[in-house]
Amino acid sequence: MDLFPLRLSLEVSLAATALTLGLGVPVAWALGRRAFPGHDLLAALVVTPLVLPPTVLGYYLLVLVGARGPVGRVLDAIGIEVAFTWKGAVLAACVGSIPLLIRAAQAGFEAVDPRLEAAARTLGRSEWSVFWSVTLPLAWRAVLAGAVLAFCRAFGDFGITLMVAGSIPGKTQTLPLAIYDHVQANQMPEANTLALLAAGLVVVLLLGLGRVVRLRY
Amino acid sequence: MLSVSLTKRLPDFTLDVTWDAADVVTGLFGPSGSGKTLTLDCLAGLARPDAGRIVLRDRVLFDAARGIDVPSRDRRLGYVFQGYALFPHLTASDNVAYGLRGRPRDERRRRVADVIGRLGLSGLEQRYPAQLSGGERQRVALGRALAPEPTLLLLDEPFSALDLPRRRALRDDLARVLRDWGTAAVVVTHDFTEAYRLADRIVVYEAGRVVQAAPRAELLWQPASEAVARIMGIPNVLHGTVVKATPDRIQLRWRDQILEAVNSPTRSYLPPPETPIAFFIRPEYVRLIRKDRGPADPGHHMNLMTGVVVADEDFGTTWLLRIRLDAPGPPAQGDHDLQVEVPHLVHEILEIERDRRWEFSIHRGSIHVLPA
Repeated sequence: MDLFPLRLSLEVSLAATALTLGLGVPVAWALGRRAFPGHDLLAALVVTPLVLPPTVLGYYLLVLVGARGPVGRVLDAIGIEVAFTWKGAVLAACVGSIPLLIRAAQAGFEAVDPRLEAAARTLGRSEWSVFWSVTLPLAWRAVLAGAVLAFCRAFGDFGITLMVAGSIPGKTQTLPLAIYDHVQANQMPEANTLALLAAGLVVVLLLGLGRVVRLRY
Repeated sequence: MLSVSLTKRLPDFTLDVTWDAADVVTGLFGPSGSGKTLTLDCLAGLARPDAGRIVLRDRVLFDAARGIDVPSRDRRLGYVFQGYALFPHLTASDNVAYGLRGRPRDERRRRVADVIGRLGLSGLEQRYPAQLSGGERQRVALGRALAPEPTLLLLDEPFSALDLPRRRALRDDLARVLRDWGTAAVVVTHDFTEAYRLADRIVVYEAGRVVQAAPRAELLWQPASEAVARIMGIPNVLHGTVVKATPDRIQLRWRDQILEAVNSPTRSYLPPPETPIAFFIRPEYVRLIRKDRGPADPGHHMNLMTGVVVADEDFGTTWLLRIRLDAPGPPAQGDHDLQVEVPHLVHEILEIERDRRWEFSIHRGSIHVLPA
């Protein structure tokens, strides 16, 4: 049977998790550590993907990055096509999962004693250095937990991916979409195999996370 | 060498202090919430004053008027936080080395080894803070602050995380380290004994203001006001009226007695007769007159009075007696007039447990007037 959807899903969710970390960690740090105008608005905005219907979210994304969308046109000009490609799937998975990472990482950063960061400053370190040598090492469990949850969410995304990347077999058809297609075509054994693989992977990841997060100094 | 002048307004508190310190250990002493830690945070650049100026050895660290605010990382101050704030994810030696980044590897290693050795932390280099005792943590925190050779060391309640028996030992430890290192330091504490033990000069805080700044001995014997005496926790702060004041003696009336006190030689205080006056009597300087040596001689014992022990408390090496004088009228302090401290041995020999009525004398040098 064709395992392309599994491979694509793994690649897309890994890429999406990397993107989520890159975008989400700075936002989580800012929300957890800084006071700035629009703080509460930003905090509310980052959780909207959790509560909006995935199709609505996907629709807005498509409008944004589609060939005639404001972002799509810019990307098109530099030769990047997002809608209905694997990049679209990555974007969809990232948007769907980033709230999970931000929420977890923000809580992790908030839990770091500000006096430790103050101590680091008095010892001659810049804000950048304080983050890498104190804040992140003390909050990494929360960041990792958020990243694993984000990966699982990205792996399972259906609605947003369908809207932004379509369900093109061999190109953008990720595992959840493939399962849906198999069920539609009444190919139950194939659907069953893929579903078991997906469930197994997620369970293994979450078990592993539990172990790592319990490590103590 | 350190001159501090700060104003900082918080929603329910205003800090407004000015003081100077020489190249020695300065104690900031006062009750909790009087602005001591906030002062340290302003010195370290962790809090930003609304107005004022901080100058350390001709280096302006902060000047609101000129818009100078040197960031924390460039102030070169060592800060030992309350509870130490050690990095829990770093070993003792990595904690000590933390402030040495940017220096050559060799120098860093040498410096860490030197600090670890001098603070008696050898063998604990690879331990994490959670695996260290309270005293060891304190020394790691000191080492971390001292390793980069700061111009000034700031210590916030250095003993608050320790239990009482360890406190006394570590107080001596810290006093020795401060002396050895010769680093100027500012120590915040709400315990007068601690301030006295560690600091050469003490600045007394109350509600965001400085109420007295003096060398420690002067503060101990000559608190500037009743408020200072109360913050210091001095017992027997009493109120009387002036009978007669001369440059070297003050006579005052209290509880129907005439007491004679020494006027302060440095700050002669000449209030007119009948002025209300506050004064204090140190409980360890009240003498009990022995009954086996005949009647007290007024020529030898001054400020004689008689009274009854209404309560006594065992403090281990000393007893604290609460005395009610024979004078009519309500007692000066609740159920008693005077607190008197006697060594345990004296309590035993004089059989105070059994014998409650005594005659007392107080040397005039042990009655300290508190200028209004």
